[in-house]
Order: sequence, then C-alpha cells, then structure tokens
Amino acid sequence: MFTQLQIIFLSGAIIFLTTIFMHLVHKNSSLVSLYRVQSFVISALILGSAIEISSILLMYVAIWMFAVKVIVAPYFFNKSIKHYQLKFTSSTYLNTPLTVLVAALLTGFAYSHYFEPLTILAKENGSGLLLSVATILISIFLIINRKGTLSQMVGILSLENAIVSFAFLSGLEAAPSMQLGITFDILVWIIIASVFINMIQNKIGTADSTLLNNLKEE
Amino acid sequence: MALIIIIGTLLIAVILSFLVKKGSELFSKIALTASVVELLATLFVFNDVAHNGSYVLNSYLSVDYLGAIVMLIVAVVGLSSSWYSVGSLKVETEHGYIGFHRVKQFFVLLHLFMLAMFFAIITTNPILMWISIEVTTLSTAFLISFYGKPSAIEAAWKYLIINSLGLLIGFLGTLLFSYLATDKLNYGLLTWGWMVNNVSGFDPFIAKVAFIFVFIGYGTKVGFVPMHTWRPDAYSKAPVPIVTLLSGSLLNVAFLAILRFKVVTDLAVGPAFSGKLLIFFGLVSIVVPAFIMFTQKNYKRLLAYSSIEHAGIMALGFGFGGIGAFAAILHMLYHSLAKSILFLSSGNIFLKYGSTKIEKITGVLKTLPRTGILFLIGFIMITGMPPFGIFLTEFSIMMSGIKSYPLVVAIAILSLALIFVGFLKHVVAMFFGEPQKEITPGEANANTFVPIILLVVMVVVLSFYLPNILKSIITSASLMY
Repeated sequence: MFTQLQIIFLSGAIIFLTTIFMHLVHKNSSLVSLYRVQSFVISALILGSAIEISSILLMYVAIWMFAVKVIVAPYFFNKSIKHYQLKFTSSTYLNTPLTVLVAALLTGFAYSHYFEPLTILAKENGSGLLLSVATILISIFLIINRKGTLSQMVGILSLENAIVSFAFLSGLEAAPSMQLGITFDILVWIIIASVFINMIQNKIGTADSTLLNNLKEE
Repeated sequence: MALIIIIGTLLIAVILSFLVKKGSELFSKIALTASVVELLATLFVFNDVAHNGSYVLNSYLSVDYLGAIVMLIVAVVGLSSSWYSVGSLKVETEHGYIGFHRVKQFFVLLHLFMLAMFFAIITTNPILMWISIEVTTLSTAFLISFYGKPSAIEAAWKYLIINSLGLLIGFLGTLLFSYLATDKLNYGLLTWGWMVNNVSGFDPFIAKVAFIFVFIGYGTKVGFVPMHTWRPDAYSKAPVPIVTLLSGSLLNVAFLAILRFKVVTDLAVGPAFSGKLLIFFGLVSIVVPAFIMFTQKNYKRLLAYSSIEHAGIMALGFGFGGIGAFAAILHMLYHSLAKSILFLSSGNIFLKYGSTKIEKITGVLKTLPRTGILFLIGFIMITGMPPFGIFLTEFSIMMSGIKSYPLVVAIAILSLALIFVGFLKHVVAMFFGEPQKEITPGEANANTFVPIILLVVMVVVLSFYLPNILKSIITSASLMY
C-alpha cells in the first residue's frame, strides 16, 4: 500500500496535472470539471488530516471546503456556461506547444536553486513542496494566458487551491477557524465574480477579455 | 470599548441602510451619524495610544502608534466622503442618473468598506488582516461598477482580478510568515507582537521570500508600479466619494500591512533588504507616473497617477528610514487630506460638466468659483509647493536619502519637477479660459463643498502647526521603521 507521504505526493501531482490540463482544454465545462477534481483532492487531504489528528473543527473545514469548491462553485460556473452558451473559451495568448513549453520552464524554475531552500519547510516531502510551487506559478500563468473571463476566474481559484496545497505540504495551514473564514471569503468571491461575468455578458456581450476594450477608448 | 463602538456602529449602519425601504434622506442621516461616531471613537483611541503606547481591547484587537494614525486618517477621510456623498448623490438622483436602489447599494457597501478597513487596522492577526483587506476588494468592486456602464464594469473586473491575484500572493507570503510559529504556537493566536518577539530562528531565506510575496500582494493594493494598472481605470469609473476613500484611506491601510511585515523581516534579516525593495519600487512608482501624467487626457486618471506617485514617495521615506520614516508617516496624513480635497473637487467638476476628459473642461474658476479655488489649493498642496506640509515631508524624505542614495534622490526630484509641470499644464487648461456657454455657473449644494473647505482648513493648520500629541505619536511610530 501507499505510505502517507506517497499519498500526499500523489495528491500534489494530481493538483499539478489538473492545472496543466486547465491550460490545454478548450471547453469551459472541461475547465470547470478540472477545477472540481482539483478541489476534491484538496478537500480529501484536509479530511485525511482531520481524521489523523481527530479534529472535529478541521473536519468541518473539509466539509465546508468540499461544499464551496466542489459543489457551489462549479454550479455557478455551469449555470453561466449554460445561460450564456459559453461552450468554448476564446483561445489562449500563446498556442498549445508554447503554453506547454512555458509550463515546463516554470516547473523547472520551481525546482531550481532559487526555490530549493524552501524545502526546509517540508524536509521529508521537499519534492512535493516544489511541485506545489510549480502549481502556483502555472496557475498564475493560467490567469495571464487565457483570454476568457471565466478562465481568469478559474485561474484565480486554481491559484488559491495551489496555495492551500503548498500550505498543507509545508505544515503552514492556518488554524481551522481561519480556514473556515478564508473559505467563506472564497465563496463570497465566487458569487461576486459570477455576478460580474453575468454583467459583462449582459452589458458588453462577450466572455473574451481581449474584447473588453471600453477603457481604451477613453 | 471604543473599538467595539466603531465596529458596532458600522455593523448597525450596514444593517439599517439595508433595511431602509424608502426615503433616500435616511441613508444620509445614517451615514453622517455613523461617520461622526467613528471619528469621535477614533479620537478617543488616538488619545489613549498617545498616553499609554497602545489601546488594547483583547489579544486579537488592539491599536499601536501607526495603527492610530491610519485609523485617524480613515475616520477623517470617511467623514468627508460620507458628507460629500450626501450632496453628490442627491444631485445624481435629481438628474435621474441613479435611483433609490442604487443609493441603497452605495451606502450599504460604503459602510461595509469602512468596516473592513477599520478591522484590518485593529486586528492583531495577520490572516484576519488579509481577510479584511480582501473584503475591501469585494465591497468596492460593485462600487466601481456603480454607474453600470460597460467601461465601469470592465474597470471593476480588472480591479477584482488584479487585486485578487495580488492578495493571493500576499496570502502566500502571510502563510510563510506563520513558519515562525511552527511547533511553537497554535496558529490562531499568531499576532504581530508574537511574531516580533519570536523572530529569532526565522530562516533568512524564508523571511525574504515571504516579504517579497507580501510586498507584491499588498503592494498591488497600494498601487506600486508595475502592479498599479487597476488604479487609473478604477479611479476614473468609480463614484468620487469611493475614489477618495480608495486613495485617501485604503492606500494607507495596505501600506500599514506592508510595514507590519517589514518590522518582522527587518528583525530577521536586517533593514537593508526591505529598505532596498521599498526604494526600488518607490522610485519606479514616481518616475513612471511622471511621464504618464504629462500626457494624461482624463483628470480623474491624472489624480490616480498622482496617488501612485505619492505612494512611491512614502515608500522612499520608509526605505531610507530615520527622519525619512517620520516624514513618510506625516506624508501619509498630508497626502490623504490633500488628495481628498482634489478628488472631491473633481467630483464637483464632473457633476457640472458631465465629463472626465480634460479637453472638455474649461473655465472652471468662472463656472465653479468655490470648487475652482479649492482644487487649485489642493493642486498647490499635492505638488509639494511651499509653505504646505507636503513640501516639508518631500524635502525631508529627499534629504534623508541624499547621502546614501544620491542618484535615487536626483531622479526622484527630477520626476517631481516633471509632475509639477505636467499637472500645471492640465490645471491651466481646465481652470482658466472662457467657460462653456451651455453650462450654468454655480455649485450644486453646500454638502458638495463644505467638507472640502474643512479639509483645506485642516491641511493648512497642520502645515503650520503640528499638535504635540500628533508629533509624539508620529515620532514613536517612526522609531519602528
């Protein structure tokens, strides 16, 4: 069977891969599904930790996180996709080969000597920690590279997941009460950003951020 | 008790504004009452901090020297903005630009925004501070898109995405700072004071990386170049009272967050690291706006770039340290008041001319004589002309850095000169010359200029006479930076 460290590394690898695939998929619904998988893994990690240390409060955090990120957020996204027929996102700024190349470079950068000293935070799982650093960098790249407003939103949430995974691997998680607050904050953010996507669709009529050029005209 | 009064008043103001079913006048009464109570309670806290060194409610809520100064700024700018809102929203309602529900939305979110700012200052926990500053983003996003125009929605979206990205990076930095508490403490109890007292053993590399993340994160909120791109767009689209709060209050709250982490970082790796970072971003934030301001076509964007430039000046002061830090804190105060004068006056220009484009504004001094004079005074203050306070603070900041960083100071002074020339060019075009015939001269109502007059009086008095209590608190606060 897998050891605990292997399970944690595997979880980090799944989160990393979902972020990579977020760059590659072109359907908005696929993007949302990948976010759902990523969030599910994060919630499962927190739940596992709660069971291990027998913390009821941490268990609430895992359930709350699951509800917000695996159920509520995808619900909002899918509703917008269905309502505005956002079946396909607009393309990325870089084409697929270049996107993969940049993702590879970012991963290499995360494993370079610049970030290597960070492994002091998780001596037993240094490789996993650097993988989560790579996930953070690739999530930021996702926000920059994708042109769709929904993709930018998922990019922000993927970055948040990557940071939670980094905190988990390095043992720097905030107290459970704080995590409940942070997840509530994320829920409010999701609702507000969804309202904005609807407003952008209604008033400007596009989900492509490159077509948002009203500010340039003034 | 005073802190509970502030938080309680704002919570009640949010709830009451939400419950109002008709009559826009009620919103005004709630807003003005809440703002006056906040200011009085803040003055009480300020006095207590001056005499006892801090105001402590419990281990999670307390106010230190710098916190007291920022609180006072937020309360004064908050009162001015709320008062001005009463007048400006009345005009906009009369003209049919907005209806009852928009006014309601405005006041509910305004109180929520104020609540988040006050809480960010008084909490001793870095993560609660992060959550509060994130709440300021969420509450102001709808205020930026207030007028519902496509360009306003676009500006709000840009603001939301850029600030959320920045704050997430800041969150990562905040988490790295909690490494200090590993195996020593339940993270929930992590406070600024605890971090300062337990900094020994903080890995220097982690401290540096954490501070860089925190600096980028909260620096996005401050608006340092190159993280500033949201600022001109948001400022040109949001209602003027909100812009005044973004520039006069929120900028300082975000700066406070950076400075709190700076203290911990300086203890871990020495002051040179954070100092150089502040000097670099400070200088870039002065130079870039200097060129953009010269060619600016929109007066609200012009003021936005001026805010970026002044954030840069403050960063230089804190980067140089010593007398520079004292001057930077005083600069925070003068800038907030002077910039509020300019933004609120620009609101009157917008109400009269209905445009933010410089080319469409002529003869303001004849069309809006009171506003025109107030804006000109604000212009003289903000560009650092003697005898006003900003001249003194800018001079002190430059003097504090001239020995160690002569090139930086020389570039900064040249940029400030360029900013003055660029600003003057636009002011001459807007304020002098013949007024447009189709525009009827005269101010909208007293609420749109009385708060500005009071702000001018405050800056003039504080430029010539700094009360001992204020001087003592600023001195004590500057010793930490």
